[in-house]
Amino acid sequence: MSRISIKIVGAQGQGVNSVGEMCAKGLKRAGYCVFGEREYMSVIMNGHSSYQLEISNEKVRSAQEKSDVLVTFNHHGIKNNLRDLIEGGVLLHQTPQWKFGEEDQKFIDANSIKVIYLPTEEILKKLNAKPVLGNVLITSVVWSLIGRSSDELKEMVRERFGHKKDLLELNFKCIDEGTQLIEIEKLVLPEPDDCWKSQLLITGSQAMGLGAIHAGCRALFGYPMTPASPLLTFLADIQGESKMLVKQAEDEITAVQMMVGAMHAGTRAMTATSGGGYDLMTETISLCGISETPAVIVLAQRPGPGTGLPTWTAQGDLLMAVSAGHGEFPRVVMSVSDAEDSFSLMMDAFNYAEEFQIPVTVLTEKQIAESLFTIDALQVRGDRLQVRRGRLVDGDGLKLLRASDRYDPDAPDGVSARWLPGSDAPTYCAQSYEHNADGSFDESGENATAQMEKRMKKMKGLKRVLPEPELWKVNSEKLIVNSDFSGEIDVLVVSWGSNKNVILDSINDESVAYLHYTYLWPLKTEKLVELAAKAKKTVLVEGNAQGQLGMLIKQECGLEFDERVLKFDGRVSVPLQLIS
Amino acid sequence: MNQPKENAGLSMKDYNHNNLCTWCDGCGNYGILTAIKRALIELELAPHQVLICFDVGCHGNMSDTLVGYRFHGLHGRVISLAAGAALANPDVPVIAFGGDGACFSEGVGHLVHAVRSNYNMTFILHNNANYGLTTGQASALTPHGEKMNTAPHGTVEELLNSMDFVFSLNPSFVARGTSGNIKQLTDIIKAGINHQGFSYIDVLQACPTYNKFATHEYLLGKCYEVETSDFETARKAAVDTSEKIATGVLYQDKTRSTFLDQLEARKGIDTRLVDEVRKVDVSALLAKFS
Ligand SMILES: Cc1ncc(C[n+]2csc(CCOP(=O)(O)OP(=O)(O)O)c2C)c(N)n1
Repeated sequence: MSRISIKIVGAQGQGVNSVGEMCAKGLKRAGYCVFGEREYMSVIMNGHSSYQLEISNEKVRSAQEKSDVLVTFNHHGIKNNLRDLIEGGVLLHQTPQWKFGEEDQKFIDANSIKVIYLPTEEILKKLNAKPVLGNVLITSVVWSLIGRSSDELKEMVRERFGHKKDLLELNFKCIDEGTQLIEIEKLVLPEPDDCWKSQLLITGSQAMGLGAIHAGCRALFGYPMTPASPLLTFLADIQGESKMLVKQAEDEITAVQMMVGAMHAGTRAMTATSGGGYDLMTETISLCGISETPAVIVLAQRPGPGTGLPTWTAQGDLLMAVSAGHGEFPRVVMSVSDAEDSFSLMMDAFNYAEEFQIPVTVLTEKQIAESLFTIDALQVRGDRLQVRRGRLVDGDGLKLLRASDRYDPDAPDGVSARWLPGSDAPTYCAQSYEHNADGSFDESGENATAQMEKRMKKMKGLKRVLPEPELWKVNSEKLIVNSDFSGEIDVLVVSWGSNKNVILDSINDESVAYLHYTYLWPLKTEKLVELAAKAKKTVLVEGNAQGQLGMLIKQECGLEFDERVLKFDGRVSVPLQLIS
Repeated sequence: MNQPKENAGLSMKDYNHNNLCTWCDGCGNYGILTAIKRALIELELAPHQVLICFDVGCHGNMSDTLVGYRFHGLHGRVISLAAGAALANPDVPVIAFGGDGACFSEGVGHLVHAVRSNYNMTFILHNNANYGLTTGQASALTPHGEKMNTAPHGTVEELLNSMDFVFSLNPSFVARGTSGNIKQLTDIIKAGINHQGFSYIDVLQACPTYNKFATHEYLLGKCYEVETSDFETARKAAVDTSEKIATGVLYQDKTRSTFLDQLEARKGIDTRLVDEVRKVDVSALLAKFS
């Protein structure tokens, strides 16, 4: 794949994100697939942060280790990130009279790094422009460096500030200055491809929010916690359009309880949190298990334990999601991997929650929640997603109900009729105590056995309907999902979540196949066992220290991997060499 | 609120459940159970038109003793559970029952924020000044120095004055009743359900097994009825229980908007969240990302 990588670094609050986002948008519109990745520290101001953009005319889903261009707002960026540049890379900095240390100068010489100083402050002073306009100025420098015309940039600025004439003119002046500023050889971008122009540039959190709205979710109850907060903020910001109820509750226990109350009443509601908040929700998840109340909980992972590394990424909460809550009860755990399935899986989550009357946990990660993806608009808007509400009874069906239908232990697949408070029908008690068919207390051993068996039967039904893991393989020179599991495999890589992106970006021949798990509990292992048997080598890749999916796989089918690539430093990029 | 005519013939029978009752003889819960049934009947609400939520405790076992849509959830969490349901479907009156252990210790935060948020729901506190179901431990509403289970030498924590606490949160409806005055409690509950906003009803409840300090007789002797009054007068009357205990609907602000009514995004919308579950076209929202 031919691609270019631009990394923007600086102190938090200096404009790193806005330059990154502006460049990303412009490039996507110019016909490029763009992937954007943010790294920052758990502070508001002054922490060192970065925004890396990957640009290609082919599908790109992850960031490389090294960049072609480094734009830095301060001298920390020069010192910390110089070595992130490839040979022949360009360093754009804004620190007047900067003197490189001996080692740095050696690195620059040895790697033929081009160093360019941008006199941002001077230019802004000359134009009588406020410091924020530095962002447009810097963007325009980057813009000219990659050989794009300044008209494209002006168009975007017009979209944003068109109604403010003075500001617009000043912005244009900055762009003109920026584009004339440097006289070096332009970087050569790959040929643009029009196919990307109609696509969307969106973060995992935004896609997930829109996916929830699309799925008929009418309420979000949350409590801020990175990296779940962007979802809460996004849905709050667009509530005027979605008409959704967005409530910041007093804590996560409240958030999950309100969600359960709303679901019980009959709407679709969800809550979103990270590991620590999920810990607080677990008793309620168990309540949903026994009361058979549908629930959807988004668990956005960051490294733990404890407060951990709040703004970094991880996949350490899989086993928690699979086993959280006391007692035994059926549930679904699924994981998104990018913005596309962050959108589409929300429909799945609500459908399974309602069809099986169970809690569903949707895992995401900081790396997905806050990264910028280029996704196919038609794909996400497709008609394949439908609302399914399972055995929810209304209308004429209500007339035939008995109170004892609610928890009928003989219901097929363990899924009994559910009807909503307010329906003109016999009433029942949704119970957190063990109960008999109409929700009355019943402490007899026979009843306890019958009700536990009723509930646990759902796991069988779920295993039947949950989709198989996806097998990605190069087929006729294209990397696609194969429905046919036959054929030779040299290396079988197995993983879940955001790792999919790095892995797919690194597969370039037919020898490596990738099995991606979206549905993690109940876990289907039949296909995996089949594939593993014929692969010469099996490799497990995970963003946690124990190989948690591997542990589940071993528990379910006994399979052990030949190799495990585990990373748990809060950073992404599984080193590709380790896979091949 | 819908009050169809055919409900006019409702009787206590319609709310009876055949399950056995497991409370102690003389338990105040019997009186509260009778009052809630009477209140619902007098409001002409049929069992299928209400949602009654229960916390975990002796009081929660009421879930087995009446019909109506019920949710018996977790210890300490009933207010949040009920609030979620009330927001999703404002046409179904939501009543939440909780104990003083549940709502002044385990889940006291939910009470604080429900009062602030003014969700449209009714909360009935079974105030027996102890943890009944776990056999008589002290709650935050147990008088200082009482000898209780796990505090054999008497409690050392200060008593929390529930009325002072609730009034400090600027509530929109505060009432107090006793389990022994069923007629008055019925009227209080009716007023609470009719109130638009969060109704706090503190019911002083006899617990003959574990509460030897505020017995049925003691409560009947001390309680007197007051008229609803302005905030400051009501607060004063409610807080000071040294001589007599003021009961009735102590304070009500009918002008206050509920949580849902204040939400900008929901203004002018007639449907309830429960009516809106369908696949939604998000093309316009997606277009912002092109
Ligand atoms: C999380 C949790 N902690 C503790 C308990 C045990 N428990 C059940 S009822 C109760 C106290 C009940 O006291 P109160 O809320 O005052 O209700 P009462 O029994 O007096 O009606 C406790 C501590 C529980 N069920 N769940």
